[in-house]
Amino acid sequence: MGWITHLKSAVTNILGRGRVENDMQEELQRHIESRVEDLQRSGVTRDEATRRARIEFGSVEQFKEECREERGGFWLETFGSDVRFGLRMLRKTPGFTAIAILTIALGIGANTAVFSAMNTVLLRSLPLPHPEQLVHLTLPNDQPWGASNTGDGDTSFSEPVFEALRKEKTVFSGLMAYVPLSESKAAVRWDEEPEEAEVDMVSGDFFTGLGAHFVRGHGFSMQDEVNHAPVAVLSYAYWTGRLARNPSTIGRTIYVKGVPFTVIGVAGDGFFGMEPGFSTDVWVPLQSRTDLNPWGNSPTVNTLYGSPKWWCLRLIGRLQPGVTKTEAMTKLDPVFQQTALIGLGTLDPKAPKPMLALADAKGIEGADSIYDQPIKILMAMVGLVLAIACGNVAMLLLARNAAREREFTLRITLGAGRRRILAQLLTESFLLVAGGGLLGWLFARLSSEALSAWAGMEVPFPLDANVLLFTGTISVACAVVFGIAPIRAATRIPSGLGVKAASTAGTATNKGRWAGRLVIAGQMALCLMLLVGAGLLVRSLRQYETLPLGLRADGVLVFGTSPLNAHTDKQKELFYQTLLARMRTLPGVESATVVENRPGSGWSNNDIFAIDGAVPNGSFKDVGMRANDVGPDFFHVLGVPILRGRDISEADCQGHRRVALVNETFVKRFFPNGDALGHAVGGEKPENSSTIIGVAGDSKYTSVGEKPKPMVYFNYSTGGSISDMHVELHTNGDPESLIPSVRMVLRELDPNLPMQKPMTQRAQFDESYSQARLFARLAMFFGLIAVLLVSTGLYGTLAYRVSKRTPEIGLRMAMGAQRMQVLWMVLRESLIMSAVAVAVGLPSAFGGALLMRSMLFGVMPGDWRSFAIALAGILMVVLAASMIPARRAASVDPMVALRYE
Amino acid sequence: MGEQAQLLPGTLDLLILKAVSLGPLHGYGVLLRIEQISGKALLVEQGALYPALFRLVRQGLLKASWGTSENNRRAKFYELTAAGKKRLRQEQEDWQRLAAAMSSVLAAEPGEV
Repeated sequence: MGWITHLKSAVTNILGRGRVENDMQEELQRHIESRVEDLQRSGVTRDEATRRARIEFGSVEQFKEECREERGGFWLETFGSDVRFGLRMLRKTPGFTAIAILTIALGIGANTAVFSAMNTVLLRSLPLPHPEQLVHLTLPNDQPWGASNTGDGDTSFSEPVFEALRKEKTVFSGLMAYVPLSESKAAVRWDEEPEEAEVDMVSGDFFTGLGAHFVRGHGFSMQDEVNHAPVAVLSYAYWTGRLARNPSTIGRTIYVKGVPFTVIGVAGDGFFGMEPGFSTDVWVPLQSRTDLNPWGNSPTVNTLYGSPKWWCLRLIGRLQPGVTKTEAMTKLDPVFQQTALIGLGTLDPKAPKPMLALADAKGIEGADSIYDQPIKILMAMVGLVLAIACGNVAMLLLARNAAREREFTLRITLGAGRRRILAQLLTESFLLVAGGGLLGWLFARLSSEALSAWAGMEVPFPLDANVLLFTGTISVACAVVFGIAPIRAATRIPSGLGVKAASTAGTATNKGRWAGRLVIAGQMALCLMLLVGAGLLVRSLRQYETLPLGLRADGVLVFGTSPLNAHTDKQKELFYQTLLARMRTLPGVESATVVENRPGSGWSNNDIFAIDGAVPNGSFKDVGMRANDVGPDFFHVLGVPILRGRDISEADCQGHRRVALVNETFVKRFFPNGDALGHAVGGEKPENSSTIIGVAGDSKYTSVGEKPKPMVYFNYSTGGSISDMHVELHTNGDPESLIPSVRMVLRELDPNLPMQKPMTQRAQFDESYSQARLFARLAMFFGLIAVLLVSTGLYGTLAYRVSKRTPEIGLRMAMGAQRMQVLWMVLRESLIMSAVAVAVGLPSAFGGALLMRSMLFGVMPGDWRSFAIALAGILMVVLAASMIPARRAASVDPMVALRYE
Repeated sequence: MGEQAQLLPGTLDLLILKAVSLGPLHGYGVLLRIEQISGKALLVEQGALYPALFRLVRQGLLKASWGTSENNRRAKFYELTAAGKKRLRQEQEDWQRLAAAMSSVLAAEPGEV
């Protein structure tokens, strides 16, 4: 019976609110009338009877309110009217409302944006059906000793391992392989103009196994893999960005590295492929053609199907329903151990045993190790910002409610229940949080794209259900914090019936003041932590920016090439010779060379080379070397100083002379006493080694942040195979102005040849610490917000107090207090608060700095400069925010102040 | 004015249910009947009657309908629902048990212990 009646009564009450009100009014009125009649009958005059009836009945309005509470649907109805009332009250104070909502929005928006990044990178499941069944196959011990590897050592598998594991049908409903066609982007062409695109080769069941949807056409079949069919699937983002969602794209031909493929499908929106942090543009089935070798590797070294010891394929599996990772591993491991040896013979017993592992396909594969800590630190930073913002809004609410005491007293006297007033205040807080949350969501929407671009990710950070839940949770947390303010106000309303004029002075109780001081001191401490963090990150960035590279990065243009029509080393060599010759004749080009791994791009060759026929003893960590294949005049073009000996010459290259240069660190490590010149480096056999003809200064190779390592520069024409090379051009003018003329030359040489990722060497090195730059900028931004919030909060509170204390100050001055004393009185309060804040904040900041140690570069966590700057910052904020109210207090005219009282 | 209404908590509801059980009544009638059957020993605070009536309607123990009073005025009449009758029986039994227990406790003499 119960709830249906309740519901019915609630519905009638809400729908027929006017009628119910009238009925109630009439019923009570009838009662009083009847009573009056009865009293008159007993001989009382009409006036007296009316008076007595009213007294006997009591307060009509109060009982009406109680009746309303007793009938159903009351809470809904009053909630509606509370919301209306709240909106009206907030509209009456637009300044307060705007500041409160903006402050909340800033806090919630920053948190939502950073959380959306964390969600994408670390938490989010792939946007595919049953993502919990998807696992990445990984190699915690890297690929076996002696294998040849391209790609990340812990995620690349050999073709035989893939073929064996995919046969385990009881474990996997599908095991999919994918591998890029190029180390960066591959050359593609739709029309005349060659361009670049991210192209992946995938197994035939890639789309069916993942369960990817298609907006146009369809994906590949196993037959496509077996036949290495010339068909292609485009990503939705590429179809949108490059082809403007042209519906007639299906059936068109795209030339990938000069090979024609027919487009058969466009994958669904939101599917970016499996490449960590990158959006794949085009997928094609695994190809056996040597000119479409994985990673753009030279087929003379490895081919996909002909080199069993080449570990280059990434694998993602879909587990059979109900199969756990542990069960899967017990079946997969024996197969893996057996097939891992194919092409390698026996394993070195001392080398670490190859190990297979399954990892949940969550977030962005491989990105967790890079971004895990930084993102958590960012989360902590925005958490601090939110705490400061909440503090400000809570203080604002407290002050506002204190100022409304007279209103509350009046309303209680008129019959409003204390609970009703509290409910109304809570509704106001709720409205503020709702407004702030919505606006914050908007901020996050706008900033998440910028954040993704800053982070150098091609994948957007979507605001999905996880993020919505997160934002909702922190909004509720804020609402709870702000709920405390009205409760304080409501309990402080004086009881009693007299409408007492709210006194102008001394309303803030001592207890209230202490709470306010604690909040402000807490905010300052949090702000100090943020400033120290920001200072450390900015100083790290400065380190990156000012670190000498050992080469001249300015005035050098670099771009990648992949000569599609050159298949043999002879042809490639000819191509690069011709290209360099043409480049040197271009107006503005001072000198030109080629290099295998573009400096600053993160790529490097790592190996242990024999010196004078003997491999140095020691682990890879101790004697590991880096190498690069370079063309003529490399050191001249890049401005790397040659300390002894000479540069590699054009004649060296054309004559295939086995010559090499080494760096200073190499000499220090391997020739501590003698001269390296004339010694041999390379293979163990003399015919495979090169003569050292020069010693160059140390220069940065993979990134700005790297430590110097022993380095060998080989003549690129003698390496045994020539890879796709990057071209370096030195100019005295603006390097980027060379791009159009270079592009023309390339097209004359081969119409399929794009200029790959052309940029200045400076920009390339800048890219190598883009993460540090991103975090420094974000931390600075958060620090700035914190400073703004703390200073406005402090200023607002002090200004409010001073205005409340104006009569008291006037009295003091009338009694002979000096202006300096009054000034000091106000300043002292802020200084005490900041002293407390520093006492708490400094150790906390140091603790925080220790946690972010891994993000610092060239700066210790205890870096005194960062701490000094942060302290100075806090002090400046405090003084700036206190000075205006303090001066206003000091300039109080005693006569005016006293008259005011 | 508070002292008059110092009925034990819950007793007002029981009084109303009992009064209405003797025949449908409007609010003022409920008041009069309670006065009458209690021999004016129990005085109900007049205004407080209405929140109690609203509460009993919401709980489904009473139903209300507009009708015409003895002096030909429009008035809202209350009567017991089936649930109201059941509740009244139950509360009556509870009350009588409590009253009996209380009176036997209070009637105890020193010698009887």
